Amino acid sequence: MRHNFFIVLFAMLASGCAMQKFIEPPPMAHPSRLFPAEAFVTQRAVLTVHGRQFALNGYIAKSETRGLRLIVAENFGGVLADVLVKPDGEIFVLKVGPPFRRKWVKNFVAADLKAIFEENAKTDGSVRMLDEAHFVIEHSGYELDLRTVEVKSGPQPAEMFEAAGGGEP
Amino acid sequence: MKFFSVIVAVLLAFALLAAADAPLQPVADPQPILQDLQHKMSSLGSVYFELTQERHLKLFTEPLTSEGVMLIERPDRIRWETTVPYQSILLGDKKSVAQFEYADGEWKKLKLGFPQMLQRVMDQMALMNQGRLDALTGDYAISVATNSSVAVVTLVPKDENARAMLSSLEVKMLPDFSATREVVMHESNGDYTRIVFNRERRNVAFPPGTFDQGKPVPIGLIRASVSHAP
Repeated sequence: MRHNFFIVLFAMLASGCAMQKFIEPPPMAHPSRLFPAEAFVTQRAVLTVHGRQFALNGYIAKSETRGLRLIVAENFGGVLADVLVKPDGEIFVLKVGPPFRRKWVKNFVAADLKAIFEENAKTDGSVRMLDEAHFVIEHSGYELDLRTVEVKSGPQPAEMFEAAGGGEP
Repeated sequence: MKFFSVIVAVLLAFALLAAADAPLQPVADPQPILQDLQHKMSSLGSVYFELTQERHLKLFTEPLTSEGVMLIERPDRIRWETTVPYQSILLGDKKSVAQFEYADGEWKKLKLGFPQMLQRVMDQMALMNQGRLDALTGDYAISVATNSSVAVVTLVPKDENARAMLSSLEVKMLPDFSATREVVMHESNGDYTRIVFNRERRNVAFPPGTFDQGKPVPIGLIRASVSHAP
């Protein structure tokens, strides 16, 4: 009887190991697949830099053919960054307000925007998707905790994807 | 024919309303009005506003809207809370500011960066809502315009650099200053933010913890306590 018990236990453990070996978690969808091809997305973010935190709002116009436009605003609506990313990857920084800097917006804000909204963007493993509306982007100098609060589906005006003479590519 | 007369009647009504809402007349010497405003506001111990904030950016076809509440208690305590589309609380007094974000079922206190900037904005909001416009005259040129339905106090930053960010700020009130209707912040590029006050309650006894920078009480508790206020 005791012998039978160990056989059953061994069989259960073995099957458990086998299950673990062959059942893999489903592949995580790229965040960009969570959003319609044409959409206006509102996100709330907490940016942590050297232990200090800043609450930000992000407004993103997304178009499959025209690109991405992001406006970052502070608590009371003041615009801190306005950046356009064309489908070919060209980046235009259209507005920067303190404490943001043009270089940061071009090198980091635009890259994070692409990492979330552009399926073909190069991934460096910095983006973690905690659920369908919650992402964490970790870099050596900062962490961005990002939550999608509103998605409006539909094409956005063409002029949102034009640099209109402003900004530097 | 009947339909046609209804349309004419409606148009006529709008025309009459428009006529009644006469153009704003600038007040040559705003000082007596500002003193009157400050006198009336000085009797206020506290005020509770429910508000809608509209951010009008030329780039967007629709305004970016949010809803929330603003609470002010003398001498210097302020709570600005966004309730829709996300939840966030800003708390300030003369000494410090704090911010909380609601996520995963709980409020999280932020370790604020640049709290001085936030503190300055909160201070100015408190001063404006107490009618303490005299304290702002160092930074702003203040003018007043009125008609039969509204009094508009306009603040223009004296500093050129500040004007590049905020070209003017308008506070629209009832002509007797008994209630604030809206605040409009104009930017030099034509963008503006409009804060519309939908509900105002004055001299409210807020529950303990309303302005607690460690653990503020939930807004539901505050709403329940102000529901009977005048």
